[in-house]
Amino acid sequence: MTNRRNFLSGAGALTGAVAAAAVSKVAMAALPEPVLQTKPDTMAPLVPPSGRPYNPVVTLNGWTLPWRMNNGVKEFHLVAEPVVREMAPGFKANLWGYNGQSPGPTIEVVEGDRVRIFVTNKLPEHTSVHWHGQRLPSGMDGVAGLTQPAIRPGKTFVYEFVARRPGTFMYHPHADEMTQMAMGMMGFWVTHPKAEHPLIEKVDRDFVFLLNAYDVEPGSATPKIMTMADFNIWSWNSRIFPGIDSLNVRLNDKVRIRIGNLTMTNHPIHLHGHEFLVTGTDGGPTPKSSRHYEVTTDVAVGQMRQIDFLADEEGDWAFHCHKSHHTMNAMGHDVPTMIGLDHKDVARQISSLVPDYMVMGERGMADMAEMEMPVPDNTARMMTGEGPFGSVEMGGMFSVVKVRRDQKAGDYANPGWFKHPPGTVAYEFDGAIPEPARGRHSGAAAMPAQNMPAKNIEVQIRKPVADHGKH
Amino acid sequence: MKRALRSTAVAAAAVFLAGCASVGIDEALKDTNTHAQRFTGGNLALSRTPEQRDRRAELAQQLLATPLSQDDAVQLALTNSPAVQALMAQSWVDIAAANQTSRLPNPIFTFERMRLNSELELGRLLSFGLVDLILLPQRLSISRSQAHQAKLQLTGAVVDHVTQVRQAWVRAVAAQQSLHYAEQVNTSAQASAELARRMQRIGNFSKLQRARQQVFYADATTQLASARHATTAAREELIRALGLDDAQAAKLALPARLPDLPKIPREAKEVAATATEQRLDVQLARAQLDLAGQSQGISLLSTFIDVEAGARRDTVFDNAEGSKSNRRGFELDIRLPLFDGGSAQRDALNAQSLAAANRYDATVRGASSQLREGYSAYRTAYDIAKHYRDEIVPLRQAMADENVLRYNGMLIGVFELLAEARDQIAAVTNAINAQQQFWQADAALAASVMGKPTATGAAMASSGSEGASTGAAH
Repeated sequence: MTNRRNFLSGAGALTGAVAAAAVSKVAMAALPEPVLQTKPDTMAPLVPPSGRPYNPVVTLNGWTLPWRMNNGVKEFHLVAEPVVREMAPGFKANLWGYNGQSPGPTIEVVEGDRVRIFVTNKLPEHTSVHWHGQRLPSGMDGVAGLTQPAIRPGKTFVYEFVARRPGTFMYHPHADEMTQMAMGMMGFWVTHPKAEHPLIEKVDRDFVFLLNAYDVEPGSATPKIMTMADFNIWSWNSRIFPGIDSLNVRLNDKVRIRIGNLTMTNHPIHLHGHEFLVTGTDGGPTPKSSRHYEVTTDVAVGQMRQIDFLADEEGDWAFHCHKSHHTMNAMGHDVPTMIGLDHKDVARQISSLVPDYMVMGERGMADMAEMEMPVPDNTARMMTGEGPFGSVEMGGMFSVVKVRRDQKAGDYANPGWFKHPPGTVAYEFDGAIPEPARGRHSGAAAMPAQNMPAKNIEVQIRKPVADHGKH
Repeated sequence: MKRALRSTAVAAAAVFLAGCASVGIDEALKDTNTHAQRFTGGNLALSRTPEQRDRRAELAQQLLATPLSQDDAVQLALTNSPAVQALMAQSWVDIAAANQTSRLPNPIFTFERMRLNSELELGRLLSFGLVDLILLPQRLSISRSQAHQAKLQLTGAVVDHVTQVRQAWVRAVAAQQSLHYAEQVNTSAQASAELARRMQRIGNFSKLQRARQQVFYADATTQLASARHATTAAREELIRALGLDDAQAAKLALPARLPDLPKIPREAKEVAATATEQRLDVQLARAQLDLAGQSQGISLLSTFIDVEAGARRDTVFDNAEGSKSNRRGFELDIRLPLFDGGSAQRDALNAQSLAAANRYDATVRGASSQLREGYSAYRTAYDIAKHYRDEIVPLRQAMADENVLRYNGMLIGVFELLAEARDQIAAVTNAINAQQQFWQADAALAASVMGKPTATGAAMASSGSEGASTGAAH
């Protein structure tokens, strides 16, 4: 994380960034130098070196694209290309992205900026870029075939428009869209207000990330692009827990988080320990009258949400999608539920056929996180992450908001685990436990049942038994 | 004196000639042992005395004391099998019959006693076929040919039997090995069924889900029963080929697995280099052809002229005169070829010679073709077995390993894991079948090189085509 502090030692000089060599010198003379990113780390905010000042965002496990000013026009250069994205330590995916990473760099501009974006296509097929949510001339909307010819491989197109309204936006291809989005072509866009805005408060920290999902066969690296619903990698900015960086803030910081959803399902994003307001959507800032405090907001497909909250509770606060499958990494969706099945004796039989067989799932799936058994190459465990009190048993769309009293302003470094004040951590009760009184009455129903089964079916809830500790 | 000398000479000649023509069974066995060294290991022996039989029994005991290798199985069959002993005995019969041909027909002694009035005449005629005597050299040679043929037939029969033993041994070991894997499949299916039963009991599975697992077990049980019988059948086939009695059969233990494939297969050149002339069937056809040629002359001649010469010595007692006088003379019987000029016989003999000549040609031509086919069967079996060993089984193993990893990651469940394990086992079973095909083809090719082709082509076509077990549990 210290690297991020050096991120902008000079204008456009990026740690670990390299200039693309494949663009010709003639083209280079006219084009802003493309800047590539080789690391999946969260880079420090890019304080604007030129143009109108603004309060920059931090892209979770991402970065902001530097620009050059050319006669008052902000010029960016996006290079669409195949990339290898580390989605979590030990798990890399062959994706398509921009400037070395997927998702591409965040583009930050200020309301009223004239923006010129050069898009060079180094993909094996044509592409285009759609500026999702922007007001712009129709011919700049980036829909291949409809508003422009597709950008052929090796070609560079120029988009130019004025960023007319402040807000939270995205960019993604609109040519062979299904393939290119399934392969990770996307990026964030933030238009900052040029002056104080009645509906846009100033914040101390402004985080952005995109929700995206992939279907990567465990043991392989390239997403299956035909998948429609059964994704197995649920990611924020093409990262999965434990690969997603924590959101580190100072106590009493005003924090903004902007989330865009480019998956094919909705995501109820949930923050622990605080209430937040949804202060912006795809359409811009929300009217104050419509805001109410929430701890979960649903980000529907193709939508963006901007949430604001005051980080006034110290600690490590879980922050995640509340669809519990989305806080899991690759897992089998057809694996039968084994809870309550005692099969140690059968296990011996199975072990004679499959020597490395281990009993799992009799007590639930936590076995999986505990046992740390070898899994296929290049596969993130279904649930993992070692917290200060043991396995967090999470994957996918999960991170932690770390609120610290002694976090310096502008310091985004990970402060480590929270040191709980004495007496503020849940503890084991060691007194006698009285047998709870259980009601036997089935309760009144709304209406009498008909065609009941011949005899009562007793649903047995099997509880784990004590001696299962040693598997 | 002169007479005595003459009779002695005749007797000596007869003994000499008879001895010369005689080819004993021992010589034939020695021949077979030398000629088919690869097959008999020089151990073919006919036991005629109780001591010899005891020695055989003892050797059989020794061989049965440890798991029986393929070569030991051959030795056991050669020493122990009554069928092999019968083969040798039968060959002895044939050789003896051949020797018979070389013997001179015994001279005929005719004694006459005739009375005429006072005369008593005692007539003595010692006669024998002149033609037989003249043709003796030819008859000797025919006898040798027949004996040679008998020896070849013995060798052929032994090669046949040994090949049967080898193949039966391969089938028995392979069946036993496959049974082991069928048991594993059954164990896997049983585990699945038991898990499914418990899953239903605790409410995690529906009846249908349980039934799906149960049905694998039911099928696997049937297959296991079949495999058990197949093992028994193959073992009994071997027991018959070895000619074991009940006590010996109870002692028979087989190695757990088939021998590994040879590092390199036999070369086509090496096999083809075995001159077709060396092959038993060619030699046999050659012997038959020679025989036909030799017999032609002799049969024709003996049909044509049948000359019997006899020495007569009659003694006449004249009672009236009280005198005794001797008459001497000789007789010649000549068959006159008036009605049968021998043309039919000649035709038959010519036809026989022609047939023999063509049979010989056909055998020579067939022999090389059979060798090529046998080699192709051998080589294909080798390649398939090697492919199973080097490609399919390792792939299945890798898949099994990967599946364990996927199970570890809860990407697949235990039922899928077990289903994959069954598929892996099925692949191993196919590999064993392929290995069995190879060793059978190997035995067949060895026989084919010797010249007792064994049909393996048909078996080859159907081998190794079984896929992995279908219908996994997922």
